[in-house]
Amino acid sequence: MISRKLQYVVAALVLSVLAMGFYLVHLKRKAESIGAGPVTQALTAPVNGPAEEMTLYVANDEENALRTATVSSALPRDPGERGRLALHTLIARYEQKDSPHPLVAGADVHDVYLLDQTSAVVNLNAAFAESHRSGIEVEQLTVFSLVRTLKAQLPQLTRVRFLVDGKSRDTLAGHIDLSGWYDVAMVAEASKDLN
Amino acid sequence: MPKEHAIFVRVTTLLLLLLAVVFAAEPRKIAVYAPQTNYQVDILVRDGVDYVGITDLLEPLGRLESHVDGKKLVLIFNGGAAEFQDGKRQYRTRSNAKLEMLSNFLLVDGRGYIPATSIAQLLPHITDQAAEFHAVARRLFVGASQLHFSAELRHAPSRLVLSFPAPVNPSTLIEKGRIRLLFHREPVVSSGADNVSYNDPFLLNTSFTETPNGAEFVASILQPATVSIGEGGRTVTITAVVQAPPVTAPLGSAQQAAPGGVSTAGAGAQAHPTGERARPFVILDAAHGGYETGSVLSPTLMEKTVNLALAHRLQKELEARGIPVVLTRVADNLLTWDQRAVSANTSHASLYVAIHSSTSGHGVRVYTSMVPPAQPGQSKHSFLPWELAQSPYLEQSGMAASTIAAECTAGGLPVRNSAAPLRPLNSVTIAAVAVEVAPLGSTADELATAEYQQKVAKALASGIASLRGKLEAAE
Repeated sequence: MISRKLQYVVAALVLSVLAMGFYLVHLKRKAESIGAGPVTQALTAPVNGPAEEMTLYVANDEENALRTATVSSALPRDPGERGRLALHTLIARYEQKDSPHPLVAGADVHDVYLLDQTSAVVNLNAAFAESHRSGIEVEQLTVFSLVRTLKAQLPQLTRVRFLVDGKSRDTLAGHIDLSGWYDVAMVAEASKDLN
Repeated sequence: MPKEHAIFVRVTTLLLLLLAVVFAAEPRKIAVYAPQTNYQVDILVRDGVDYVGITDLLEPLGRLESHVDGKKLVLIFNGGAAEFQDGKRQYRTRSNAKLEMLSNFLLVDGRGYIPATSIAQLLPHITDQAAEFHAVARRLFVGASQLHFSAELRHAPSRLVLSFPAPVNPSTLIEKGRIRLLFHREPVVSSGADNVSYNDPFLLNTSFTETPNGAEFVASILQPATVSIGEGGRTVTITAVVQAPPVTAPLGSAQQAAPGGVSTAGAGAQAHPTGERARPFVILDAAHGGYETGSVLSPTLMEKTVNLALAHRLQKELEARGIPVVLTRVADNLLTWDQRAVSANTSHASLYVAIHSSTSGHGVRVYTSMVPPAQPGQSKHSFLPWELAQSPYLEQSGMAASTIAAECTAGGLPVRNSAAPLRPLNSVTIAAVAVEVAPLGSTADELATAEYQQKVAKALASGIASLRGKLEAAE
């Protein structure tokens, strides 16, 4: 015969297990809803100072076009950091669920190095290149949007080069050439057709 | 009878001893191809398992120290340590990870042996270089030492051109109906299909096999042929021997009727009296191939497959319009960008068209190279960097792109036309465009349908056909 006291203890334990289960499901849903929300600001260290407007050239697959968007944010003074923040914000926008030009989560830019005022080297992370969709159009939109967004932040820029995890790479995802320097003016000219 | 029996036993014993001596004298070996050197290591067979000496394998690849401590063998290779234990499968690497081989490690007379089947798994942990072991042929490739080759059938004259990324020097055996190329020293490996059927009047098929002695490429031919090595050993060409025309050829024959007569008609024209193998107008390049599949259009559809099918359809459409065509690849084999550019630049064609396919967007996109235009004073005869060789041809390429785009629009296809940084367009020294075909609807499978491919091929062929006069006049 099981004592009444033991029955109460078992019942209390079952109830607490059920309650914890419900709470767990609630927390999971909450976490998912936070993740699905729009990214409203760049995921970088906060910068002090007045907010400035930042122009992003956002690729749109359906329209095969680059669309401009402005974001207000406190921008670092260092030009390299400023360029990195702009590209980071652009990539974060591509990683959103309803992105017109989706990139997988985890794609990012490590650094933007300025060799001088006119030449920038963008060091992308491996996830950016490895998970990028393959195709001329889709790769072209990505590269052009990065170059034009960087140029918008660094007006004196004339050429840009891309590295992936610090190493040179032949193509982004099998099509668009990443092995050499991009002439910023030529990118602007070629992307006229994408406006 | 007993005497005969004794002789038989003695002879048999003698033969067996002889065989044993022969086999003992020539142990089986594994051929190792590394970027810095090629060498062989002996195989030791224990309990039916093939083993190789770990120090024999590693010594030519870097700085190696080893010492035996009881049943343990400690290796220090280029500063990183690995530890093995006699009779155990587990071993410890420089990253202190515990890994397992397929059979036990052996320590015999102070020398360590690892199972041959575990080389490819073990070597990267010790040397930090990838390793690929072809067990049947007993060939081990360390790092990126493999030489993937491509084979391309060309015409006028009929020839099979094998292109290699590094110089090769195969032994050549010309036999009746076939030519064998034996690669004893070079790490030549297949680039895709090992057996390719051509069903051409010159070439029936080709096959590629790897053996413990190297690799062998066999071309089954229907005409006598010669073999030549060019481009510093990077190409091997099997060329059909064109039969000399009879001196007493009847007047009024096809060759005689041609301007210049038989003596000036050229080997290609003689081989093809109708002139159908004349200088090609367009070279079609089905992008990707071999293990380089391009986009994965759907779980069952690769870009390389659609590109090749489109190229074949376009070829037929163009030939129906009387336009001579050559293809960079006719089968599922890999070509490098430079090989594609070289094919275009040596084809004597007027137009290069690279064919791509994608699921992104709709319709057809036509691209030209994004190289800077030629500087004042630069011409088609100027020396230019390989990456800028397209510069003097940009105007013609632009004309080609807009003409093709206009014909696609007329054919009811949505079309875009722009410049893009694409290889090998930058290095092509004729008018050059790349075409990317996307479905009209939302499903990738449309790209594989005969109906859609035919629609695209017709539109492209119309564009190319209307370019013929313009480009030839520009030349």
